[in-house]
Amino acid sequence: MKAGCSQLKPAVLILVFNLCFYGSYQVTDLQICELCSGAVLNGTAVGRFCSSSAGRIEGRCCLRNDNTSDPEYIIGLDLSNCSLTHVEDLQRASTAAYKLLLFRDLSLNPIVNISEAAFQGFIELNYMILPQDIFCPGGNTSWEKVEVKEGNRFCEGQKDTCNQTGQLSMNCPENSLCAPYGPSFFECSCADAYHGYKCLREGEFPLLQVFAPLGASTFVISLLLWLTQRRKAEPL
Amino acid sequence: MPPSCCGCLSQYTHHHLVAFLLTFFSYVLLHASRKTFSNVKVSISAQWTPTFTNDSAAAFSPGKTWEGNHLFADKEQATLFLGALDTIFLFSYAVGLYFSGVIGDRVNLRYVLCVGLCGSAAVEFVFGTLTEWLKIYNVYLYCGLWVLNGLLQSAVWPCVVAVMGNWFGKAGRGFVFGLWSACASVGNILGAFLASSVLKYGYEYAFLVTSVVQFAGGVVVFFGLLTSPKEVGLSLEAETGLSPVKTDTDSHRPLMSDEEEEDAAEVEVYDRHYHSIQEPEDPLAEAPLPVTFCQAFCLPGVLPYSLAYACLKLVNYSFFFWLPFYLTNNFGWKEADSDRLSVWYDVGGILGGTIQGLISDLMGKRSPVLALSLVLAMASLVGYSHSPNDQVINAALLTTTGFFIGGPSNMISSAISADLGRQDALRGSQKALATVTGIVDGTGSIGAAAGQYLVSLIESKLGWIQVFYFFIAMTAGSIVFITPLLHKEVREMWRERQALRRQL
Repeated sequence: MKAGCSQLKPAVLILVFNLCFYGSYQVTDLQICELCSGAVLNGTAVGRFCSSSAGRIEGRCCLRNDNTSDPEYIIGLDLSNCSLTHVEDLQRASTAAYKLLLFRDLSLNPIVNISEAAFQGFIELNYMILPQDIFCPGGNTSWEKVEVKEGNRFCEGQKDTCNQTGQLSMNCPENSLCAPYGPSFFECSCADAYHGYKCLREGEFPLLQVFAPLGASTFVISLLLWLTQRRKAEPL
Repeated sequence: MPPSCCGCLSQYTHHHLVAFLLTFFSYVLLHASRKTFSNVKVSISAQWTPTFTNDSAAAFSPGKTWEGNHLFADKEQATLFLGALDTIFLFSYAVGLYFSGVIGDRVNLRYVLCVGLCGSAAVEFVFGTLTEWLKIYNVYLYCGLWVLNGLLQSAVWPCVVAVMGNWFGKAGRGFVFGLWSACASVGNILGAFLASSVLKYGYEYAFLVTSVVQFAGGVVVFFGLLTSPKEVGLSLEAETGLSPVKTDTDSHRPLMSDEEEEDAAEVEVYDRHYHSIQEPEDPLAEAPLPVTFCQAFCLPGVLPYSLAYACLKLVNYSFFFWLPFYLTNNFGWKEADSDRLSVWYDVGGILGGTIQGLISDLMGKRSPVLALSLVLAMASLVGYSHSPNDQVINAALLTTTGFFIGGPSNMISSAISADLGRQDALRGSQKALATVTGIVDGTGSIGAAAGQYLVSLIESKLGWIQVFYFFIAMTAGSIVFITPLLHKEVREMWRERQALRRQL
């Protein structure tokens, strides 16, 4: 589908994220805010969310920082009326920021499909507005509340995939624990003390405790044997 | 030199003890690292493959942790490859044995032994630890390294047997070698222990620990091993002190009718401990020329024993490799139980080797003991193949089978190899021990390698009971190969008895 044929539908695409977080997630890549022209408008869902959570609008993003020394995070993204046809590029454009997106408005886009993995990793994604005919990522079971009004679909409150008893509850392999990883996604990360490929390794090998006595005893035995055995040996 | 206390052992010095222990532990360490490889197979194949998921379910994320390695698509393929590595190893080990024995007789045995131990330790380190640290997973690299490992490891056995043969003469050889050949089984136990205690840190540490320990063993051997009593001025035949049951006629008619005792007589046995090789004694012993490979092959007894050992090692190693698998499959016992139970086969082998060695020492002949044991082995195989589903009875049958199969197998590979390498026909060229040991064990290993393949083939096509018939046929085959020797030795015994009777 060509870009530009999106006028048929009211166009809003909104994302909202609860941004409570850790300074380690730095927004170094604000490219996504410039993905399409224009800025977040005050009256839109993202605009309201942004002002209520004391954010700052830049391009299509709503940014906030918890204290002045920390860098800013994207807490909301308004991609409405952006002529998006596929929602997979999105992630690529926002690799640095995606974990922080809390609120996302994707309405008013001629989206035909959302790739399966498009929202993988969006742990904090809490509110989405999509065109009506697009289902919430991960299906209705992944959201607390899904409703359709005014030609848009609202996905609210991401559910924790790991604690679900429903069809998608998957057990992680041995030595790993389940952690939410975006709508309907989960991540198996190594349990305490386990690490490495498939979490097969436990603890750190005590190199010094093993090899120091070994080296010392090798030296002593060699010396002892040389003194008692080979010292007076004559070549054959 | 403080001689050890108990009567018949009084001829041994502390040098004998150290040589015994050093050669024993050299092979223990070698076998321990072999066992390590078979014990970490599960971890390695996990490392080489992505996580198994149902087709319907999504793959686990993050992909790097769960799907990162694709050397093999699944566990079955990885297992096949690991089996192929075993076969590659056995073949290169067999080929290497033919060469390393020849080299061992020409170069200082100590150097060859050290190169074998330290070299194979280094290769194992690269194979198991370095490739994992650098994340290089390559099938061809693994195959190449394992071929090299087989070649390097093959240097060890002929050397340790040759050193033992130098230190321990014919008279007590059967018993001493029987005891000594427990080294392989002790190595298995040590390897299993080492592997299981560090496996949780990752399989690369199992390789790291066993290879470093093996390397350390090589260093100790380099500084401590005397390859021959001559190096400290002891007579080579220090203990021709003769076993108590031998009559006078017997004492001059050694087991393989070899030169040892006659030689010893020339150099005056009785001041043996302090006699120096510097004294001109036998001009030929001054500069012993090593035999060539072909000469060694044509020595009397080498070919028959090699072929007999090929049949026997096939059966013996099939038990070593397949027993836990058979027990788990056939009786449905847990893997840990099967592993534990299969130790009884080793126990039987140690007992068999020692006791049969002792009997053969007392008799003054080896092949009658061997033949009798092999006949009983066939019977015990029949018995074992009909073992009831009971772990105690199975363990008892297993020990019996190990006694009658492992015993002769240990005896041929150590005591008899040493006999053959120092026999009469070698007069003037004493350095044949390592070469002959290499030939016997090399031929045996070819049999073992072929057996690996044949057992899996027969098992999949015809079932386990046919595998046992195959074992019985192979045991019968080894009896056939030693029949000429048996015939000769029994006739000799008969003649000796006649002569003795006439004397009386």
